[in-house]
Amino acid sequence: MALLEEPIKGIKEVKNYINGEWVDSKGKIVDVVNPATGKVMGKCPISTKAEINAAVEAAKEAFPDWRRTTPLARSRILFRMKNLLEENFEELSRIQTMEHGKTIDESRGETRRGIENVEVSCGIPTLMQGYYSEDIASGIDEWVIPTPIGVFGIIGPYNFPFMIPLWSAPYAVATGNCIVIKPSSEVPFSQMRLAELAEEAGFPPGVWNVVNGGRTVVDGMLEHKDIVGITFVGSTPTGKDVIYKRCGETGKRVIAQCGAKNFMVIMPDCNVKATVPALMTSFFGNTGQRCLAGANLLIVGDDNKFYNSFMDEVTKMASKIKMGYGLDESIQMGPVRDKEKRDNIMGYVEIGIKEGAKLRLDGRKPKIEGGCPETCFVGPTIFEDVNSDMRIGSEEIFGPVMSVFRAKTLDEAVQICNASPFGNGHAIFTQNGRSARDFQYNVTSGNVGINIGIVAPVALFPFSGMKDSFFGILHTQGQEAVRFFTESKVIIQRWF
Amino acid sequence: MGISTCSEAISLSKELENNSAKFYQELSNRYEQEKELFLAFAKENEKYVKQIERTYYGVITDAIEGCFAFDLNPEDFQIKGTLPKDDSYSNAVKEALAMEEKIINFYQVAAEQSKHLMADVPRSFTLVAKKRSERLTKLKSLLEK
Repeated sequence: MALLEEPIKGIKEVKNYINGEWVDSKGKIVDVVNPATGKVMGKCPISTKAEINAAVEAAKEAFPDWRRTTPLARSRILFRMKNLLEENFEELSRIQTMEHGKTIDESRGETRRGIENVEVSCGIPTLMQGYYSEDIASGIDEWVIPTPIGVFGIIGPYNFPFMIPLWSAPYAVATGNCIVIKPSSEVPFSQMRLAELAEEAGFPPGVWNVVNGGRTVVDGMLEHKDIVGITFVGSTPTGKDVIYKRCGETGKRVIAQCGAKNFMVIMPDCNVKATVPALMTSFFGNTGQRCLAGANLLIVGDDNKFYNSFMDEVTKMASKIKMGYGLDESIQMGPVRDKEKRDNIMGYVEIGIKEGAKLRLDGRKPKIEGGCPETCFVGPTIFEDVNSDMRIGSEEIFGPVMSVFRAKTLDEAVQICNASPFGNGHAIFTQNGRSARDFQYNVTSGNVGINIGIVAPVALFPFSGMKDSFFGILHTQGQEAVRFFTESKVIIQRWF
Repeated sequence: MGISTCSEAISLSKELENNSAKFYQELSNRYEQEKELFLAFAKENEKYVKQIERTYYGVITDAIEGCFAFDLNPEDFQIKGTLPKDDSYSNAVKEALAMEEKIINFYQVAAEQSKHLMADVPRSFTLVAKKRSERLTKLKSLLEK
């Protein structure tokens, strides 16, 4: 199968987008490497404190006029942006594959999910309407106006370079705020292209800004008095101890979506034929680099015959997964983002072996199509006889590793799920409505799947999370995002 | 090599539609008596490509099984797409019938394999298979003329 054409040729330089201008950074420059080919595809700046300050200043200056722009006019720009995203759909998807390594189907899926958030935010003229009560006391009326607040920081992770900033950005600007996005310096190109399209769509200078970099930019956002709130997607240690804590200290509102260790609970009455492919995409899709990825497979019941035949099916399909460069349409799993992440996953495989888990499928020497270097590849890996006391069963690995647990009953399975410090996207596979209902009711998980392996809410719904998977109150996407990006101004009126 | 990913399945459907469109264009050039009908078939193929791509790009998300939805053998659906130079009209129509049956089979198999996994894509495949089945009737009637 021939490769789809790469949209980025040669080595592309990333710039910051501040106040409607593309500007070079004075910071250190790092290479961006295509993890599938091992080739340097670009150079990304690690921006300075002065540069993040300049972006916040530009956003602050743009805010009063942007706030006064009518919601209908703001939504017209978003409609234009939506059309531009559709026109450039394939290019945007291929950029994600190049910089991240995911397959082209996965990248297109990410593009679609991102665009859906722009589509939902196009409805802002009605989404941000307030509400009114006449005569809360005789002759006195009261109403609420959702008002924009100012400048927000959006900190993106490496695993969904295009989509995740769009869980926040379109709602923030639609409601009349201005934004500064910090993409991951490992995958800066999707956000660079997105900013180009935002510019083309007609956002005024200063409304949409992008500053590339690392910790300095994050610290600059956290410290800046003019940033009123931050959305963050990343690891639990950073989300909990850095972002959430420091936003609290500086009085910023915050959405911190963090790590996970999701259980996929298998009931013996599940539809095996449909469940196994769903598990493949859950555990091995995006090479396991998802906060909604399945990590632990929990098979319920004493029936060893079912267990063995189910595991045979899972192992058979997993062992056939075709790995390589995601721009080859036949590839089912790409590399992980970089060698450091691969080494971390390999380390967990060693830990699993030492902990006494049974290595049923070993992904340490994967077969890779198309002559790609091994550097960032790990194959599907399956451990059996895992329990919650083991590190491989309790810590987030963020790679294509499935740890198999067993439980005698559904109640026991739910207890195991709930003992995890995380609560992001547990799921059950069953044909029994009662089991599904009991699971949904009792499990402590922000997103719950019933015969769904990736419990990713669409843009109309909040992307939830519980326990160590989420810090904050309101969530990204949909109505909750609109509430996060607005303050409720309450008016009480009486005329003498 | 089998086809597992949605992207590849969509590309195969596009290839089948494009090749069969070329075949009908060739028929329209050779057989004046049914020129309009064959050209209409070729044009219809373009619509199918658009319809299927629009569906795929509209529903593909990272939450469904885009990389694991199919187990297709592309060799089962190879079509010739060309005619021998001196082929008779009836042989050409028979060739068209055989080609249509193969393409319909592709859509039916692909729809069945992905029916729980790919949201609107299998529905779109089924719709195209149904539409193409109407062609079989038309082609058969040509042989009876």
